[in-house]
Amino acid sequence: MSADLTEVPARSTERSGGAIAAGAARSRRRSAWRADAVAFVLLIPAFVVFGLFSWWPIIRGLLISFQETNLVEPARWVGLDNFHAIFADPLLGKAAGNTLLFVGLALLIGFPAPLILAAIMSTVRRAGGIYRFLAYLPVVIPPVVSVLLWKWFYDPGSGLFNAVFGLVGLGPFPWLQSPDSAMLSLVLESTWAGMGGAVLIYLAAMVGIPAELYEAAESDGAGIWKRIWHVTLPQLRPTIGLLLLMQLISTIQVFTEPYVFTGGGPQDSTVTVLLLIFRYAFQNGAYGQAAALSFLLAIALAVLSAVYLRATRSWSRS
Amino acid sequence: MRTTRRSALALFGGAAVAALTGCDSLKPTSDGTGDTIVLRVQGMPPATEKASLDQFAKLVADFEKANPGIKIEGSTNVWDSMTFSAKLAGGSIEDVISVPLTEPQGLIERKQVSSITGDLRGWNHYQEFNPQVLKPISDAAGEVYGVPEAPFALGLVYNRALFAQAGLDPDKPPTTWADVQAYAKQIAAKTGKPGYVQESKDNQGGWQLTMITYAHGGSMERLDNGKYVADFNSAPTKSALNLLKTMRWTDDSLGRNLLNNQNDVIKAFAAGQVGMFLGTPGTYRLAKVTYGMTNTGDYGIGAMPQAGGNATLSGGKIYMVPASVSAAKRAAAVKWLLFAYAQPQYDPAVAAANAKALAADPKAAVGVPTLPLFNQAQQDKITAAIQPYVNVELPHFAPYLTGTPALALRAEPAVQAQAIYAALDTAIQAVLTDRNADVDALLAKAESDVNAKLAAAQK
Repeated sequence: MSADLTEVPARSTERSGGAIAAGAARSRRRSAWRADAVAFVLLIPAFVVFGLFSWWPIIRGLLISFQETNLVEPARWVGLDNFHAIFADPLLGKAAGNTLLFVGLALLIGFPAPLILAAIMSTVRRAGGIYRFLAYLPVVIPPVVSVLLWKWFYDPGSGLFNAVFGLVGLGPFPWLQSPDSAMLSLVLESTWAGMGGAVLIYLAAMVGIPAELYEAAESDGAGIWKRIWHVTLPQLRPTIGLLLLMQLISTIQVFTEPYVFTGGGPQDSTVTVLLLIFRYAFQNGAYGQAAALSFLLAIALAVLSAVYLRATRSWSRS
Repeated sequence: MRTTRRSALALFGGAAVAALTGCDSLKPTSDGTGDTIVLRVQGMPPATEKASLDQFAKLVADFEKANPGIKIEGSTNVWDSMTFSAKLAGGSIEDVISVPLTEPQGLIERKQVSSITGDLRGWNHYQEFNPQVLKPISDAAGEVYGVPEAPFALGLVYNRALFAQAGLDPDKPPTTWADVQAYAKQIAAKTGKPGYVQESKDNQGGWQLTMITYAHGGSMERLDNGKYVADFNSAPTKSALNLLKTMRWTDDSLGRNLLNNQNDVIKAFAAGQVGMFLGTPGTYRLAKVTYGMTNTGDYGIGAMPQAGGNATLSGGKIYMVPASVSAAKRAAAVKWLLFAYAQPQYDPAVAAANAKALAADPKAAVGVPTLPLFNQAQQDKITAAIQPYVNVELPHFAPYLTGTPALALRAEPAVQAQAIYAALDTAIQAVLTDRNADVDALLAKAESDVNAKLAAAQK
């Protein structure tokens, strides 16, 4: 009996324990469902906004790339005609080459510049805020205003740069007026206008480098350049990598500079892929071709973004 | 709790649906099916031009009084190629739009604007419209798509002060391109400022090369077996480009700023920095009102210089009705266009009243000459009626007014005009920035590129 007695409660406990466990699981599931439902409800506005203003335009753009449309009458399906048309355009190769040139020059000039500036600024002991403010100032100036300002800098007659170079007997340089120097001129302005953000990110990352590493390097007799090379740069590696990819993605989409500075000239030397898309759509009214080229550009950017995400994950793990 | 969740879901769902359906309420005008048609029209002057704005308000009041079923909503929006298509697709474009004369052929070709011939025919004076003025805003079948506000022919704008400084007679602008070359060289040598400035970007280089080609007796397109093909790879355009090349590299009379659009050029002209450029009398208004030219007495304009073509390109501001506008609204829009723009260019009393009101603002430009929208006799009556209120230096327009009637008015290329202009922008830029530019090779390449686009467009 006792055994029975002892067994019964045991089985009873087991059963009731199982029931409790099952009930708890059900309760957990219910509460998880509740949490999901609440989250879902809260996400609906975001879904609506993203759907209306991001996803639908993307889908619509993709559809238009296979259509001929004037945006008023019903669109006509044309298969791959728009893609054939853009590949037959002799300007496409030129625009792709120019875009890569811009990206390459921006990497060469625009990428190290904020790193060097941040390294120098990080050594400033006093009034660092002023330097940070000055470095960031160009970022808050509207891009078109920056470009118009630099247009005057580059003016071959009365511009600032030729006046300054003229003082030391150099120039005058044609800047935007020559196919050989136009793209470089765009990159210089773009670097000035955009590096403030990168400087701040580098500065923030530099603050996070443990001081002991520098002390150890110093005690080993390392000078400033060795400290930068052996401590700062390795510690900044993830930040450098991320900014590199972000710069690649943004410079491939360069538009404002060639549009406002040169209109793509001289001799198509600054026509970029985005400017070509603009011309297809808003000068020629070929919306299908514009959408088709946008689609191809989006694929290129998606590949870069995939690399970006992969790199981000691997750096996070490391 | 469940009820609360359901309520919340319903609330959010309802909000989402409301947000979606609410898009319709974003449409700024009624569809014209109600009792009152609300017509949104471009062409309202900005608040900074008070006299013009007051005049516009009076025009609207008078129109609404005469047309009780139509309400006008003025818009200060101006033509913007970047936003036009998006607004058209979104249904938020105005019912009456104002475009420069470079645009109508493209808009007609892409079927983005409505023919208004049917509605225009009901007007008593329809048959009296100057056919030369209507041609650039008509399609090949003769359907009319707009009403010009101030039709012009392109001419040669020049700075009278720089002419005098260079030892040239300000009352005698060049009438041939050989003269333009010689005068530009003299201005550059004597004043240190560019004697002549050529537009070269944003498709405006190709647009201006079209004018010079017409003046040299050439054309940009020709019909070949019923299809348009490029026609600019020929002697007239080659002469035009070689002339510019000589002016740039031998005479050094074009200055150093070689990438310019129209705004760049007019801005520099208003500041007294340009000897000559190709433009319409309407550039007077832009130089004075938009770019603050103070010495307006320096503004001079002559007819388009010639080199055997005896022709010029027409220009001006055109009011059109987007194809998305309903038939009822289109009919109302044509009533407005006739009342606001055609009637004042036909009826001397209306023109005089408008000029008087505008003259109240010294910053306004009153009496800038235009081509006759109807016939010369009617235009002379208008000119006489507004004469007391004119505040522009009319004698400085005399070379233009006497020289232009002798020229044939030619329209922009009928098909893919912007593609032609874009291809020729590149050729012009090459000539202006490369001493060794090969004009023949440049035009051959442009011809090949344009023909590919023309073929694709005429499939």
